[in-house]
Amino acid sequence: MVAPNHNSTRTLIDEYLAAQQRLQTPVARFSQTHDNPPDPAMAPVYRDLIPLSKPGPGEQYAFEVDLDACTGCKACVAGCHSLNGLDHEETWRDVGLLVGGTRSHPFQQTVTTACHHCADPGCLNGCPVLAYEKDPLTGIVRHLDDQCIGCQYCVLKCPYDVPKYNERLGIVRKCDMCHHRLAHDEAPACVQACPTHAIKIVTVTTHVDGNLVLDTSDFLRGAPSPEYTWPTTRFVSNRSIPPEIIAADAASLRPQHPHWPLVFMLTLMPLAVGCFLSAAFSPAGATPLTLLGWLAGAAGLFASVFHLGQPLRAWRIFLGWRRSWLSREAILFGLWFGLASTTLLSALPTAFPALPVPALIAAPLTKLEAHRQVFVAASAALGVVALVCSCMIYVDTRRDLWRASQTFPRFLGAAVVLGAAAHFAIDPTGTQLLPLAAVILLKLAVEIRVLRPLDSDDDTPTAPLKTARLLTGYFRTVHGMRVALPLAALFIGALLVSNFPRQPFLAWFVFAMIATGELAERYLYFRAVVAPKMPGVIS
Amino acid sequence: MFSPLEDLLHARQGPMTSELVLRPGDFGLGHVPSRLAPVSTTDMVCGFCSTGCSLKVHLNEQGQAINLSANRDYPVNQGMACPKGWEALTPLAAPDRATTPLLRNRVNGRLEPVDWPTALDAMVTAFKGIQQRHGPAALSFLGTGQIVMEEMALLGALAKFGMGMRHIDSNTRQCMATSHVAYKQSFGFDAPPFSYDDFEQSDALIFIGANPCIAHPILWQRVMMNQRDPEIVVIDPRRTETAMAATLHLPIQPKSDLVLLYGIAHLLIARGAIDRTFVDAHTAHFAEFAEFVKPFTLDRIVRETGIEAFTIERLVEIIATRERVSFWWTMGVNQGHESTRTAQAIINLALMTGNIGRPGTGANSITGQCNAMGSRLFANATSLIGGYDFTRSDHREHVARVLDLDPAVIPDQAGWAYDQILDGIDRGEIRGLWIIATNTAHSWINQKRFPELREKLDFLVVQDMYATTETARMADLVLPAAGWGEKDGVIINSERRLGIVKKVSRAPGLALSDFAIFKLVAGAWGCGHLFERWTSPAATFQILKELSRGQPCDFTGIRDYDHIDRAGGIQWPYTEEDAAKSTSAPSASDLPESAQPPRGRRLFADGRFFTADGRARFLFDEPRPMPEPPDAEFPLILLTGRGSSAQWHTGSRTDKSDVLRKLAPRELYVEINPTDAARLRISAHDRVRVRSRRGEAEALAFITSTVQPGQIYLPMHFSTVNCLTFPAFDPHSRQPSYKACAVRVEKITKR
Repeated sequence: MVAPNHNSTRTLIDEYLAAQQRLQTPVARFSQTHDNPPDPAMAPVYRDLIPLSKPGPGEQYAFEVDLDACTGCKACVAGCHSLNGLDHEETWRDVGLLVGGTRSHPFQQTVTTACHHCADPGCLNGCPVLAYEKDPLTGIVRHLDDQCIGCQYCVLKCPYDVPKYNERLGIVRKCDMCHHRLAHDEAPACVQACPTHAIKIVTVTTHVDGNLVLDTSDFLRGAPSPEYTWPTTRFVSNRSIPPEIIAADAASLRPQHPHWPLVFMLTLMPLAVGCFLSAAFSPAGATPLTLLGWLAGAAGLFASVFHLGQPLRAWRIFLGWRRSWLSREAILFGLWFGLASTTLLSALPTAFPALPVPALIAAPLTKLEAHRQVFVAASAALGVVALVCSCMIYVDTRRDLWRASQTFPRFLGAAVVLGAAAHFAIDPTGTQLLPLAAVILLKLAVEIRVLRPLDSDDDTPTAPLKTARLLTGYFRTVHGMRVALPLAALFIGALLVSNFPRQPFLAWFVFAMIATGELAERYLYFRAVVAPKMPGVIS
Repeated sequence: MFSPLEDLLHARQGPMTSELVLRPGDFGLGHVPSRLAPVSTTDMVCGFCSTGCSLKVHLNEQGQAINLSANRDYPVNQGMACPKGWEALTPLAAPDRATTPLLRNRVNGRLEPVDWPTALDAMVTAFKGIQQRHGPAALSFLGTGQIVMEEMALLGALAKFGMGMRHIDSNTRQCMATSHVAYKQSFGFDAPPFSYDDFEQSDALIFIGANPCIAHPILWQRVMMNQRDPEIVVIDPRRTETAMAATLHLPIQPKSDLVLLYGIAHLLIARGAIDRTFVDAHTAHFAEFAEFVKPFTLDRIVRETGIEAFTIERLVEIIATRERVSFWWTMGVNQGHESTRTAQAIINLALMTGNIGRPGTGANSITGQCNAMGSRLFANATSLIGGYDFTRSDHREHVARVLDLDPAVIPDQAGWAYDQILDGIDRGEIRGLWIIATNTAHSWINQKRFPELREKLDFLVVQDMYATTETARMADLVLPAAGWGEKDGVIINSERRLGIVKKVSRAPGLALSDFAIFKLVAGAWGCGHLFERWTSPAATFQILKELSRGQPCDFTGIRDYDHIDRAGGIQWPYTEEDAAKSTSAPSASDLPESAQPPRGRRLFADGRFFTADGRARFLFDEPRPMPEPPDAEFPLILLTGRGSSAQWHTGSRTDKSDVLRKLAPRELYVEINPTDAARLRISAHDRVRVRSRRGEAEALAFITSTVQPGQIYLPMHFSTVNCLTFPAFDPHSRQPSYKACAVRVEKITKR
């Protein structure tokens, strides 16, 4: 046998390695560089899948999905991804599964969905910077990528999980129904990519004489209710879909994003407002409470900035005030911070008599000081109103855990609890402890109501049940902490009052425990909420 | 009103907006993303499944692929692709590509980068040492249906004619061996008779153990294009996506197919729905068959298959009355303990009703891997390279003449199948193994045995795109291979269509095409002179063309790659005479549609089969019970299959795409019927443990009535599934029976 000749082998290896890096060899021969037909090659395929004319008054474009033709191949998702040049992990369409039926008539149905280009879009209504526009001619809900501040409120507002946050860009992006293609009589990417022509674009009537008349009565079983945003997508089928059908992922427990900056902000702002509330009711402790409240407010507003993917664009946040609770919250807390700062200033001469005050501001400062309690009360009142806006931000998403009967007691209750706790820390006496204990127990009692679905035998995976399961399962440790911390704090507080009066360190420790408990409550508020979505696959 | 203030307040333009701007693409593409606008495009066949879709690859100035879309002008997919096709370029850019040969350091046990000379030297030294100690047959390879025909042929020839291996096989054993053997025995050659056009031409399509909606979405597209108001019958234990779309579903008990198919034959005979003219003129052994199926009465079918009598009668009615009936099968048939006879029972139905050789008819096997068909012809494993017979001296001499070889280097026996090779390792007879582009440690049945077998190997070489597959991590030597899109060659799809694959992307680091690696190994082994004419895939194609001359798969009429490219793929047979008949070279763009050669051709229009007497054979055997039936301890039957269109086999490529990963279930799930779930106190999304006698797997419970009581279903793409499967094999094809074993399911109780 011939021994391998290393020299010649090396030459051959080098040759192969070089050849491996050469492109254009066969490709150049066969590539189509001059071929430039007037119409897209796919035009004959999709010609019947897009409308012949533009929508008229009261009409708009909509997706129509033929459920009988959709087989779950997911080409629409991948085709959309490639033809729109989306990021690696970014998808604007999704394919889910509905299951049900009986032993003799088993049933499953795959469903392709994207943005429903709603008649009353939740994303658009919630956006604080007007980064969403509903095209007046086509009704396509478009997102202005350079306007978006990355607050992700639209992600929370959309019941169909459509807008997707893009980490790389710090903004949200979503399906635009390939408006650019449609404008040139070309079908959207998903329509072009579906091997069974299950997706088409149709014109639907949304308004007659300015009144919303969209028929969503038969939207899609297993999907979130259409009454909130009036989705325009039509799901059509000649098969009878069994009534008991559910999404394949209906029972899956999906812990939501914690939104840490919001967790901090929505603990610190109630603390801030609570301090001013306490200060309003007890002029004696007003100064330290005002200072603490101001610090908490400053920190809370600072924290909120970290929630934004594009904070430098956030100055536009007031634009959406007509519709967006987030705009309103931002405006009111902005005003509040000015008022709170003024209030703090008014307290300074009394608090720090030695403070050198420039002559120029001495006189106005004295005037302010005279009306200090008015400023405290006004700050507290404005803070409460701003907190109400905070509550409405979440209530307006119509998520179950974020309903008004939970959100208001939690946010406003946190203000009262933390205000009382701060007051107790400053003045650790029985007079302060009793109301503190009362509000803590009351708030816990309200919160604990979300566990009630566990008492029922019905294990239909509803949102309340899933939240309860998340709290007692995936988040059992945090949830245990959330309940135990304030109770332990009250116990230590009681010891403190009865046995160790005048122990400022311990008093602040009690405050810290209560504040941490509230932080945990807010964390769970974000993580254990059930976000509605279109049917998905098992995961 | 767009005042400056309005512009300031409302940023309608900007860098982020422009990221998604589309512009009209040339080359008939429609709009494309501006930042990915191509300078040119080129068409090539997808490298995942055997459908053989053509993808239009978008290229930049350097000829590098930057995006792709589906090719409208190709007769197979007509502008469509499944998610794997759309994402075909993504796995090439995966960060865990093998970029350099890796050799296991004997001291620290780690795989460490080495250069090619060192790697080749290590391989040759180890393998030659093994042969010196244990004989030439102690070396073996396990290949693939995923590399191009030219590479597979070079590998098969190198291994048997150059390196003296006797036992070689490929992962096509796991998917197509049954069809190969069934066709060969029944028709005289491994010849799937159909064209995809038959999906559109049929009056009744009968799918047996096939779920094309998920496994072959682009073929399902063709079914949906059928304008003849066809009956669509699905025979499958599960109510699959395809069963949902069918006009008739037969929820058969697992592995009772033979009884059903023989029973239907019996009922058709009893009904007199037989094409006597065809049977008499073109088949053999029908009388024996008719006699054999007599005991398969309606009562017996109902009893053994669990299907209601009127449903069976309805199917018989459909076959008897519809003009064009086609039968289609996939892995539900091929992966069974009596799979060859099952496939042949389907062939028998087509033969006896004269449903073959006409439009919209046929007994049609839908293949699995992209080049399973090319591999079946040229891998040199079961058949001598080119579809010849190892045992015939005239064949050996002919092949030797075409390849310029000494006939003595050609073995006169076919050698062992995959499972027999693994048994040979177990017995210590095979000591060196070379695994190419397959992931045995994940995909082979009763997978837990493989790590033990690996310990018995003196040297394991794994050649793959990724050094991270379960198998590559066990190797002594990893050879980094270029993937689909990084090399040239031909693959053959299910309908016998040759299509081309092109180099449109650079392989990373020192990775080389499998062709180059085989050439280097041949050189290092000292047998490079045998393959002097095999200078490139294109040159090799000419050699293989010559090998096909006079065979049923004769494609001597194909000039070269360019010819295939311009014709939109060419089905075999395409002889020199066929080529001479078309006046000019078939070119999709040059010729009006009417003047083009038919783009979909089927076999046996003349009723002549490839057997010596030209007659097709009726082949049959008594059904045998499932090898591991459920019992008290393991009361459920485990079914396995393809779970989603976004996953391919062991996921070594599809897991590299974020989009495909997103479209696939994140973890293993088990489909279980509500009745069984209630009995086992399992709720939706509970974590459960599936146990068989061989292993266990954890899964998420997915409660659905689409799987029958007493059965559960697991998608095969997750690595723990084959810990459970029972190693039974069809005696003719040696294909493993992945789809039936006994298991039990337990709820995992937390803490």
